[in-house]
Amino acid sequence: MTAWPPAVTAVVAAAAWFIAFVLAHVLGWRAGRGQAGWLLLTYAGSLVGMLVTVASVTLGSHGLLPTILAAALAILINACLFVVYVPAVYTVLTSLSVQTMLVLRRRGGSMPERELYDRFAGRAILQDRLATLVASGYLVPDGTRFRLTPRGRSLARAFAFVKALWKLGPGG
Amino acid sequence: MKAIGLATVMTIVLLLLATLTFRLFQSEQRVRQLAILYAICALLLACLWLATPDDLGVLPPALVVVPRWLDLLLTLFFFSAAFFGGVLQLYNLADRGFSLRILIDALEHPSGTVDLDRLIGEYGGGRGIRWMYDKRVADMLQGEFIARAADNLVLCRKGNSLADLFTRVRRFLRLELP
Repeated sequence: MTAWPPAVTAVVAAAAWFIAFVLAHVLGWRAGRGQAGWLLLTYAGSLVGMLVTVASVTLGSHGLLPTILAAALAILINACLFVVYVPAVYTVLTSLSVQTMLVLRRRGGSMPERELYDRFAGRAILQDRLATLVASGYLVPDGTRFRLTPRGRSLARAFAFVKALWKLGPGG
Repeated sequence: MKAIGLATVMTIVLLLLATLTFRLFQSEQRVRQLAILYAICALLLACLWLATPDDLGVLPPALVVVPRWLDLLLTLFFFSAAFFGGVLQLYNLADRGFSLRILIDALEHPSGTVDLDRLIGEYGGGRGIRWMYDKRVADMLQGEFIARAADNLVLCRKGNSLADLFTRVRRFLRLELP
């Protein structure tokens, strides 16, 4: 039997293992697994599986250099699928616009604007975000205030730089 | 490897063009500006791929992707993912990231901190938390997902379809509905 070209092996392995990752991630989600941790764990697992698959299929039939090509392509294809998948996940989880439409739908499609502002531009939503930022290690409580951690400071500096470079204004 | 090289080069070109465009042509329609740049760059990339040899004059035969058409597809795929998952997301986070703006508010404050009461009035470099939601409401109104009716906000057909889709997704994922 003729062996597949390394690039074809890379595409098939990357696609198959990415589908496996999405299935594992979604099933874990339904079972109540932690979102960010489970996402990274399942993705890391799928990367390892993919690399083992590519190496075992390509190394024997094509040699080292084509295996490196296939592995590089597979990693990049998988990473590309991941960076497109993750924003979609976070839209489902955190988008205020999406949540606004969901609340409106639950309330029969219409709601006083004031109530929506109370809900989405009030203390509760800020408290929630601050708690998430603390849990993620970007802020640390300091009395009634929240102080940037070194990790939070680096992230804030990086995005403040992008905002200044692109002249985006205050944003947020 | 040609696919990786060309897509990387064109992504850098796109980032440079986006930077120049944002700095020279201030607009409220930045996503539209980015989409136009993406389309131009994708076309240029396809032309560049056709105009260059498979081995770029330097690659060993083992690093040339076979079949050829797959290399062109991968080139465009890598570039598109770099745009939709990279450049566009970077813009969205920098311009719309709620949590990121809180971190930047802390960075910009002399004390290096934020607190709840101050954020209510001064979130977003002094604009306040209502301003953050104003922007979202304005975008939903402009996109015709919602409409204003007296003191109410009302779901439009497009918004209702989207809400329906997200309700199903959240139910499937066993997430609480807001």
